[in-house]
Amino acid sequence: MTLLSLAGETIGWKEHDVLVGVDLSIQEGETIAFLGRSGSGKSTLITHLYRRLIAAGRATALVPQDHALVPPLSVFHNVYMGRLDRRSSLYNFANLVRPLRREVAAIRPILAEIALEPEMFRPVERLSGGQKQRTAIARALFRGGDILLGDEPISAIDEKQSAVVLDTIRRRFSTVLLALHDVDLARAYCSRIIGLRGGRIVIDKPSGKIERGEIEALYAA
Amino acid sequence: MTTNSDRPRRHLAALAVAAVMSAALATGGPAMAQPTLSFSAIPNQDETHLLERFNKVAAYLQKELGVPVKYVPVKSYSAAVTAFKNNHIQLAWFGGLTGVQARLAVPGSVAIAQGIEDTAFVTYFIAHSSTGLSAKPTLGDDVKGKTFTFGSKGSTSGRLMPEFYLREIFKTDPEKVFSRVGFSGDHTKTLDLVSSGAYQIGALDFTVYEAALKAGKVDTKAVTVIWKTPPYPDYNWSIRGDVDKTFGPGFIKKVQDALVKMNDPELLATFPRTKFIPAANKDYQPVEDTAHLLNLIDG
Amino acid sequence: MRPDRKGPAGRHWLGRREVGIGVVLVGLAMLPFADLEVSTHDPWRHVSRFLAGFLSPDFNSIRSIAWAVVYTVAFGLVGVFIGSLAGLLLAPAYHLRPVRILAATLRAVHELFWALLFLQVFGPSAITGALAIALPYSGIFAKVYSEMLEEADRRPDEVLPPGSGALSRFLYARLPMALSPFRIYTRYRIECGLRSSAVLGFVGLPTLGFELDAFFKVGRYESVAAVLLIYYLMIATNRQWLRPSLIPVFLVAAFGLLITLGGPPFRMENLVRFLTEDIVPAPLRDASLLASSTWDQLSGWLDVLLSTQAFPGLWSTVVVTQMALAVTMFVALLGFPLIVARLVGKVPSISGHLLLVVGRSTPEYMLVYIFLQMLGPSMLPAIIALGLHNGAIIAHLLGRQADALTPTLRPDAPRGFNLYVYEFVPRLYGNFLAYIFYRWEIILRESAIVGILGVHTLGFYIDGAITEIRLDRAVLLIAVTVLATFAVDAIARGLRRRFQLSMNDLASREGSAIY
Repeated sequence: MTLLSLAGETIGWKEHDVLVGVDLSIQEGETIAFLGRSGSGKSTLITHLYRRLIAAGRATALVPQDHALVPPLSVFHNVYMGRLDRRSSLYNFANLVRPLRREVAAIRPILAEIALEPEMFRPVERLSGGQKQRTAIARALFRGGDILLGDEPISAIDEKQSAVVLDTIRRRFSTVLLALHDVDLARAYCSRIIGLRGGRIVIDKPSGKIERGEIEALYAA
Repeated sequence: MTTNSDRPRRHLAALAVAAVMSAALATGGPAMAQPTLSFSAIPNQDETHLLERFNKVAAYLQKELGVPVKYVPVKSYSAAVTAFKNNHIQLAWFGGLTGVQARLAVPGSVAIAQGIEDTAFVTYFIAHSSTGLSAKPTLGDDVKGKTFTFGSKGSTSGRLMPEFYLREIFKTDPEKVFSRVGFSGDHTKTLDLVSSGAYQIGALDFTVYEAALKAGKVDTKAVTVIWKTPPYPDYNWSIRGDVDKTFGPGFIKKVQDALVKMNDPELLATFPRTKFIPAANKDYQPVEDTAHLLNLIDG
Repeated sequence: MRPDRKGPAGRHWLGRREVGIGVVLVGLAMLPFADLEVSTHDPWRHVSRFLAGFLSPDFNSIRSIAWAVVYTVAFGLVGVFIGSLAGLLLAPAYHLRPVRILAATLRAVHELFWALLFLQVFGPSAITGALAIALPYSGIFAKVYSEMLEEADRRPDEVLPPGSGALSRFLYARLPMALSPFRIYTRYRIECGLRSSAVLGFVGLPTLGFELDAFFKVGRYESVAAVLLIYYLMIATNRQWLRPSLIPVFLVAAFGLLITLGGPPFRMENLVRFLTEDIVPAPLRDASLLASSTWDQLSGWLDVLLSTQAFPGLWSTVVVTQMALAVTMFVALLGFPLIVARLVGKVPSISGHLLLVVGRSTPEYMLVYIFLQMLGPSMLPAIIALGLHNGAIIAHLLGRQADALTPTLRPDAPRGFNLYVYEFVPRLYGNFLAYIFYRWEIILRESAIVGILGVHTLGFYIDGAITEIRLDRAVLLIAVTVLATFAVDAIARGLRRRFQLSMNDLASREGSAIY
């Protein structure tokens, strides 16, 4: 079943157009990696897809590139924000003042899975870059839903951790769309690869059929 | 260094305590069991030792009246009137003008006593010696163009009556008679300011001047009395009409009697008066009329 | 939204330099209207007695001074606490016009005027002192907090799940993002609260101003010196003993202390009477609102009040304001080099700091009071004192920026006076003008308030109306003060916009210290 399709669309970021003539169709259950140099339009595309999916009422979780965390709040509270829409303001307030047992119990296993449990009640501003990134991922995991969009979600995480994180993501979401910089990881975990260059889609193939040279051309100066 | 994780919690605890305390603050704290008679006096002179002296007066009244009596110091003439109006004090030693203001603000309140001196009170106009002015039967044109200070804006002997006579004599505003017109705040300050030459001329309560003279606190080389106003009624003890409801019928009369029979010279020196005699609201009609004339009260 | 940039300021017929000179010229133009006489017979005797007091301060009254310090801290903390809570509640709604007007009105009325009004209802009680600080501060907090929220990062809010409640969004994603500047600004305001609290003593609350006033009145300059020295010690060391982690403890203690302060009991009927009778214009009280005679009387009442009090008071206020503003400019420009080590050397810059600390941490009201004692009642002491106080505040800010500029100077930069005129003044001039225009409305408010001390500005007539127990007049005159503040604020904002003077480029802490 088609989840989303774009036909010849121009996707702009404010007045400045970044992507032109985008033809793209995404099926439910796909795992797609977006590759390309920085500035090629990956972030713009991810943001655009997120807005379209939200507007369509699809349960979508997002890991933005800048994480968009609240530094003075704890890991627990940042993760909890993934479900801020599920509860009343009063409940949310109570949980802010004093973490509720029930929410702690729900969030703890998620953090355990990505090795962040010891940092559960530390303010995010005291975490390392990798820990911050995993907090943003945990927020998306806690949010849940069918679809996950990630904009360089593992850029600051070491190889071993990255594998764990990607496994977890793939297990929990049926459709996964990721902007990645690591070509090998992209090929290993994603069924389809979309290459962007200068605001256009130049590659769109199953990952098994992609040639090394094609990818090198994507990153060439 | 504190850990950040416990910070919100502690802030919240402080917040809760503070909120409870705000509520307590708003309700005014514990209520008093037995009604207390609170009284005050307009701060017309040196404020130091006021508390000590008036606490003795409070002790005397408490003994005579058989109810708790508390002296409440106030910072200004208007604060005394306001406290009376707000029922924060029920009895007060007012000036002529403040008494009129207070009784107008609290219907049913009455003047019950005055000093013997207050039936024929006088304002002294004093001048710094550098002016070359000397005592005369009335103020002459030689005071024109000098600097001049009243006492408090709400004072009878320091403002109301001297302004009244200045207008009568010169037929114009005091601001047009003198090059500068100020308000020193109280009678002692007026004496100080004229002694130092900060103001060339000043008007003040004659009892304060005479008391300072007796105590050797007047630099007679620097200051001379240049004119004494005609007599007028001044200070008075006034009491709220509703005290009979709080303290029992006949309470006003009891307070009046206690004041009139006060004979301890030490207590009387606080005011400073030689003796208190009964008084009534109508005794102060001339003050009220003058205040109307100078547009210091509405109505 | 930022206003459109109109190109370099130089293209206007009037440049930044001209506008600075213009402010000075307006100040000079006020000279013929200003009463600048030194009316004390022998001012030097007073000055020397005052200064001599510092050589032999008399700490015999240390017990009562110590209590005054305790109450100064208590009122300051409680007032700032309540004000910051109220400001926090108003800040998210600050974009609404009624909230903005409310906040502007609250802060346009000086805490002493608030105190004078509350004294009429609550007497010299804890409520009076706490509210007198809390109300104007809540207006300031609302404005500054809302600006900080505006500037805070919005990304976390943007990625929240759609459909999250507004309150939850605010508490989780907006408020925490502004918490750090809030904390810094609130801490700065606590120090201001201590100063405001000390000044409330002049109208009868048991804080340091009360002691100062009592000792000045009887000419005990040795005790005056003791109170002032303790006051400076309290302000200078406040960051040492009033540590952030201890503030909750202090706060609880302060609330406890104020509850036991005693004072007159709260009576609802006084509040009702104040609102429904006292502040209603006299001709309207108990009068038929349908009778035309009532309205004739009201217009007569207004006419007299405006022509004999409001307008003369307003004019004097403007005269004092403009002259004090000109003095402020000189003090700021001549004062800031005193604390720049590169200009005056390391050791002298320390004494420069001391001088400026005294100038800016002495509340303007206290400074005017002290100068009045020595120079006698004219506009002169008010102008000098306001100029020194505000000039010292700006000099301090400029000096710190000059220090920050020092490492960026080219290695062969000139030295001494040339460095001052060729590097520092031109580079800092924009900020200098911005500060001047920010301080303008504050100086106006201060000029009005020092009327209570006898200068014939609006405060003189307000104090007079309160002495006459005519609160209707007092409230009307306070309203005139508020309108004047609004007018000056609007003009200053227009000038800042026109000459592109904003403090956006400054760290929030530096910038906000100007309010």
